[in-house]
This record gives sequence, C-alpha cells and structure tokens, in this order.
Amino acid sequence: MAMDQQGLLARLIRELVRLPGIGQKTAQRLAFHILKTEQEEALRLADAIHAVKDGLTFCRQCRNIAEGDLCEFCLDPKRDSTKILVVEEPSTLYAIERSGGFRGLYHVLLGTLSPLDGVGPSDIRAQELADRLKAGGVQEVILATNPTIEGEATAIYLTRLIKPFGVKVSRIAYGIPVGMDIEYADEVTLIKSLEGRRDL
Amino acid sequence: MPLLKTPAITLKSRKWGEADRIVTFYTLRFGKLRGVARGARRIKSRFGSALEPFVQCDLNLFEKPNDTLHRVSQADIKETFPALREDLALMAGAARMANLVTAITPDADPAPKIFDTLVQGFRSLNEGHEPALTTLLFQIKLLGLTGFRPQTDHCAACGKDTQTLGAGSTGRFSALAGGLVCDPCVHRRSDRYLFLSPGSLAFLQQALRMTPEVLNRLKASGQVRSELELAIEAYVTCVAGKRLPPVDFLASC
Repeated sequence: MAMDQQGLLARLIRELVRLPGIGQKTAQRLAFHILKTEQEEALRLADAIHAVKDGLTFCRQCRNIAEGDLCEFCLDPKRDSTKILVVEEPSTLYAIERSGGFRGLYHVLLGTLSPLDGVGPSDIRAQELADRLKAGGVQEVILATNPTIEGEATAIYLTRLIKPFGVKVSRIAYGIPVGMDIEYADEVTLIKSLEGRRDL
Repeated sequence: MPLLKTPAITLKSRKWGEADRIVTFYTLRFGKLRGVARGARRIKSRFGSALEPFVQCDLNLFEKPNDTLHRVSQADIKETFPALREDLALMAGAARMANLVTAITPDADPAPKIFDTLVQGFRSLNEGHEPALTTLLFQIKLLGLTGFRPQTDHCAACGKDTQTLGAGSTGRFSALAGGLVCDPCVHRRSDRYLFLSPGSLAFLQQALRMTPEVLNRLKASGQVRSELELAIEAYVTCVAGKRLPPVDFLASC
C-alpha cells in the first residue's frame, strides 16, 4: 500500500522502524494497531516511554539502570558487597537476578571490547570498575561476559586490569546446558566443559 | 531454494532480532556470503559455537531468490583455532585478517586461494607465530591475491620499469598510486610518500612471491618491519576505502 510519506501515520511508522528488530511491515502493523486502540491506551504507551526517558538513569556505582543516584541492588544493605559480578548489559543482570543464585553486587560494562569493530577499553565502563576496586572492600570479581569473541576479549582485558588490585578474579563456567544431550554439544563447548570439570 | 554446501570460515557475526545472528562467511566454493542463523543465540541452539568468528566449519545454506542474505541451516565445526580466543594479540591479528577479507573481497566471487590463505593465516596465529608479523604477511599476501598487489617492479603511476630509473628512485611508496613511484611522477603528483629501504622492498617482493604455507618463514624486525607496517597500513586504508579497526586495538584507546 502506497503511504503518504509526510503524513502523521507515516511519521509514526518511520519512528517504529528505528526500533531494533522492527522492519517496515511490522512497523506498519504496530502503527495501525496503535491507530485502532483507545486513545487512553495509546497515550499510556507514550507516557511510559516518556517516563522511562525522564525518570531512569544509570547507577552512579554499578551503571545498572536506576531510578535515582544508585540502583536497587547498590542500595540494598543485605547484599554481599565483597563480591562483584560483571555483566555486559543490564538485561544479563536481570537474567542472573531471576536465577536467585547471586547475592552480591553487580557492575554493568554497557558494552564489550571488540577487536573486529575496534571497540576499545575507553568505550566500556572498565575504568569505573577499577575505581570501585581501588576504593577497597571487594574480595572477588566474577566475570559473566558472554562466551563470544567479544565477551572473551573483555574477560581477558578485565583480568589484566583487576589482578594488580590483589582481588580474586573468576569466570563463570562454560559447559553443557542443563537438560541437553551431550552428544549434540559442539566441540568447543565439550572441550571447555572438560577443562572446567569439578571434583565431586 | 537451492541448498549450498561448502567449507567456510566465519568472518563476522552480529546479533540480529531476538535470538538470531547475521553471519559473514568466506566460503571455499562461493566466496564471501552472508547468512541469517535463526535462534543462534539461544542456549540450546544447534549451531553451538560453529558460527563464532575465526571458526572453520562445513556449512549448509539455503539460497534465497533475489536476496543476498542466505538462510544458515547447518554448521559443523572443522577447526576452531582455540588460541585465538585466549590471547588479545592473537585475537586482534585474526580480527584484522577477517576485516581485510570482508573489506576487499567482492560478494559471491569464489577464490579458493583466498580461503586457503585465510585458513593458513589463522593456523599460523594459532600455532604461536608472532601475531603482528603474521598479520602483516597475511595482508601483503591477500593484497596480491585480490588484484591489489603493491607495485614494486614498475612505477605505480606511469608504469615505467623502476629498475631503469637508477638508484634512489625505487624507495617512494604511494598508497594512493598503489606502489613505488618513479622520480618524475613524485614531482608531478601530490601524494604522500612513505620511504621503503632496499631491505623492506626485498622483503615485500619475497612475501608476494611465497606461498601461504611457507610465508611464516620470513622474519623482519626493526626498520624493515616499521617501514612495511606503515606502508601496508596506508595502502590497506586506500584499498578498503576506510580505516580498518587497528591491529593493536587496546593500545589505540
């Protein structure tokens, strides 16, 4: 359907297309859905976007998403402040938090090093992590970057950065996902899981 | 929708959509191709680590009509070059190799020699050969294989045989012209020139002649190394049409 490129609907579609994973067709479908919904419902969506942009910022300490100066985890006195778990993005932090397996503090890098794209240490929040370690009180840093080339590069770099502080550095384990058949695992995963085996 | 089967090396892989990846491959039978791997980022993905950069795999793709983006249906690992994931200097060297192949090879234009040179380059890095020199030699070789051979025996601007121009005329390298430039052309053109000593020139010519398998027998240090690194970096930037991410990406920040 040819659409007026200057019209209000076309403007909405143009804005929706800018979102990740949204193509022209999906943007059109969403735009027509918004058009058909009640005014109140559509304005609630607009208001939620507005509120997020106005009310959310990054935590001064860990760079997680926060509604104030510090995020909910940095403000929680019950959390173990001797352990910091480093993640690439806030979405990973919430995945780990959902598991309930970690009760320490976090540090969000908001990116990864990438030799393929020329992303270096100054493009991620690595120096902020070093500043936190300099302040003292941390005994262990757990690196939970993705097991991709970028995640590995970041973990190697952070290990180099952290070691001089005399803090224990560990990396989350590699291996076979729970519920999977070992025969279907690829060679790299199998080798890594054998290297990372533990005593019982 | 024909099925393509070929050995391939992953050059780049980037996140796409919710759990997919768009992967750039250099394949033995079809040259450089791009494919979308549905669900590749899910924990139980059938692709596992086969689509990670610098991994050689046996690849099955479905070709989509009127679309340069193929659909990846299967990838079985052949060679993983594990050291490239464990050392930043090796990783950066491999990244430059992959970036150069991505930048200067055309899509869907098979060149088995380029594929073999890339595999050999990754293998050399994985075996512990010095990363900066291995990367430099790979770049010289690849430029030769892709039709961008740095001109060393003729003036890159006018085509005159540099041997007949006398001493002192053979050392000015113009990245823009694509090789050595004779004295009259130096005065005529406003290019930026880099000086190549006779040792550097001999090394460059030797590297262009040698096969990828024995390329890492060449050794260079000091002046030869630094002159060639500067010249090849400038030439690669001209050929690629953009500055590629630096080999020492940590030092550059």
